[in-house]
Amino acid sequence: MKQYGKYLFLLPGLLVLTLFMIIPIAGTILSTFFDAGSFTLAGYMQYLQDPYFLNILWVTLRTSLLTTLICILLAFPAAYYISKCRPRMKMILLLLSIFPLLTSPVVRSFSWMVILGKGGIIDNTMALFGSDTSISILYTPTAILIGLVHLFLPLSIITLVGVMENIGDDVVEAAKSLGASASTTFWHILLPLSVPGLMTGSILVFVGSFTAYTTPALLGGRESVISTFLYQNAVTLNDWQLASVVATIMIVLSFVVIGIMNWLAGKVAVRGGNIRG
Amino acid sequence: MSHVSLQNVAVAYQKTNILENFNLDIPEGELVSLLGPSGCGKTTTLRLVAGFLQSHQGSIQVGGKDYTTVPVNKRNFGFVFQNYALFPHMSIFDNIAFGLRQRKVSKKDTYTKVMEMLELVGLQHFENRFPKELSGGQKQRVAIARALVINPDLLLFDEPLSNLDANLRVSMRSEIRRIQQESGIAAIYVSHDQEECFSISDRVAIMNKGVIEQLDHPAAIYHRPRTSFVASFIGFKNFLRFDRRSENGQKPIFYKGDSTFAVSYEKDTGSMTGVIRPDDIRIKPAGPPVTENELSGTIITAIFLGRSYQYEVKTEHGSFTANQEMTIPFQSGDSVVLDMPPHKWVLVEESEVPSYAG
Ligand SMILES: Nc1ncnc2c1ncn2[C@@H]1O[C@H](COP(=O)(O)OP(=O)(O)OP(=O)(O)O)[C@@H](O)[C@H]1O
Ligand SMILES: [Mg+2]
Repeated sequence: MKQYGKYLFLLPGLLVLTLFMIIPIAGTILSTFFDAGSFTLAGYMQYLQDPYFLNILWVTLRTSLLTTLICILLAFPAAYYISKCRPRMKMILLLLSIFPLLTSPVVRSFSWMVILGKGGIIDNTMALFGSDTSISILYTPTAILIGLVHLFLPLSIITLVGVMENIGDDVVEAAKSLGASASTTFWHILLPLSVPGLMTGSILVFVGSFTAYTTPALLGGRESVISTFLYQNAVTLNDWQLASVVATIMIVLSFVVIGIMNWLAGKVAVRGGNIRG
Repeated sequence: MSHVSLQNVAVAYQKTNILENFNLDIPEGELVSLLGPSGCGKTTTLRLVAGFLQSHQGSIQVGGKDYTTVPVNKRNFGFVFQNYALFPHMSIFDNIAFGLRQRKVSKKDTYTKVMEMLELVGLQHFENRFPKELSGGQKQRVAIARALVINPDLLLFDEPLSNLDANLRVSMRSEIRRIQQESGIAAIYVSHDQEECFSISDRVAIMNKGVIEQLDHPAAIYHRPRTSFVASFIGFKNFLRFDRRSENGQKPIFYKGDSTFAVSYEKDTGSMTGVIRPDDIRIKPAGPPVTENELSGTIITAIFLGRSYQYEVKTEHGSFTANQEMTIPFQSGDSVVLDMPPHKWVLVEESEVPSYAG
């Protein structure tokens, strides 16, 4: 009885999830396999053989993976620095780093449009160096990438700081006292011990940028990503069946990537539990 | 020539000097412990020697080599941390092998050495476990093994046993001592526990506010504290500042008000402050006239300590603490006489001391 008691705590969350997530999603996924009451894979065949769609899928995947990678690289040193600050400074820096989250993605995307677009700072600077001004970063995958990194960097930093705070100074000092150089300490101590945070952060960033709508819609111009494509299908073309197929593909792909990340993480980290010894 | 030599080193945090003109010499193979009140700079000293802190003056030499500016990872000193600082993501084997791998020891030798170490600390067959899967005492032994396996030039222990329970502390400290003596590596050992320091060390350094007040063999510290700070730190609860002294044959006689005290302390530096342990004062019921080395007073409190009672006795020269085993204890308010024999007195130099009688 006692052992099972703790599962009661799961009940409310489970109920909400089942009602508002699992059932609708299952419904969406199931609906993609049936056309007029009979089983079919036609929806999938149609998409997975369509080069236009495959290209969108590829651009989306590439952009979100790149976003994840860049976020990790940028967040890691920043997070390490923040985690080693004194409490007061840490508060200030953390607040500063999540500050971008407080403005809406729409506003931020519009700012990037000004910066990246024709006559923007980048454009003008390029012109100064004699570059052909007709090349604008705006409305390219690069613009989407920049927007997404800006959007998700705070998330990476917060999750990493959370983990790095728990890596004791003494563990790092122990490594040094045993003769480890700075780079060995990084690769063999800091990095493996940060994996839980890297994992959480990366999954959040990946899923977030894989499914992001506003930023790609505004910065990508006619360049579609999978979520804007889905929107077109569902709202503009009013084809909910096909939109569901796209949604299912997104869900499956997300899980595949998360699975791969988990597997990679297992390679670097941590048996016998997390952080503190 | 001493193996470890700190000369005139100094450390400051945010402009507050923690260590100033600090000197310490340790001969080959000796274990010196640092003992002192919280915040006196023991950890700072250890971290300075380890290289985690830099001295802005003076020099640190070990085995004739100057280490003052050598970075931590080039020092080859074994550091045992208070909370073990094992690498949580590595097996016990990998934890111990870590230092050897930094030294490019071959796979085969690494294996042999790690296994030898595990045996030395009594953890055979634990190599595949992870730190989480060990008890506190076992982690402690891994930490020691990890520091020892690199064959360090010096061992540094920062309160290595403070997280363990009393029984384990006693057995671990003799183990540390045995390992240290077998390996013949000089060591600096920091602890709060006096008994631990006395039992484990060749010499003990009593520190106060970043200064070593006395560095001596444990028995010498225990019986012959040099300063009033050291005396009070190691349990001389009773202080008496005498008014004047006169030489009478071989024993000097000290005077305090109407009381006289003969003192037969061999290290007579001409000091005017005497200290005596609670255990060395005898309490007698008041009655016969008070003579030399006696002081009359009134019991204020009586505390049962188990083996003995501890009495707080008020006298004309302040209050005294005395321990006494007895079947029928004194009650508070009883008039008593304190007998403080000449050979129990120790004469100390005045130094800063928590409030005392006299
Ligand atoms: N990083 C730091 N920044 C500022 N002051 C510090 C720092 N570390 C230690 N101190 C100060 O230096 C003094 C000595 O500290 P230290 O840690 O050496 O004491 P300790 O003798 O080891 O004490 P304990 O027995 O409590 O461990 C203390 O007054 C402490 O407040
Ligand atoms: Mg300390």
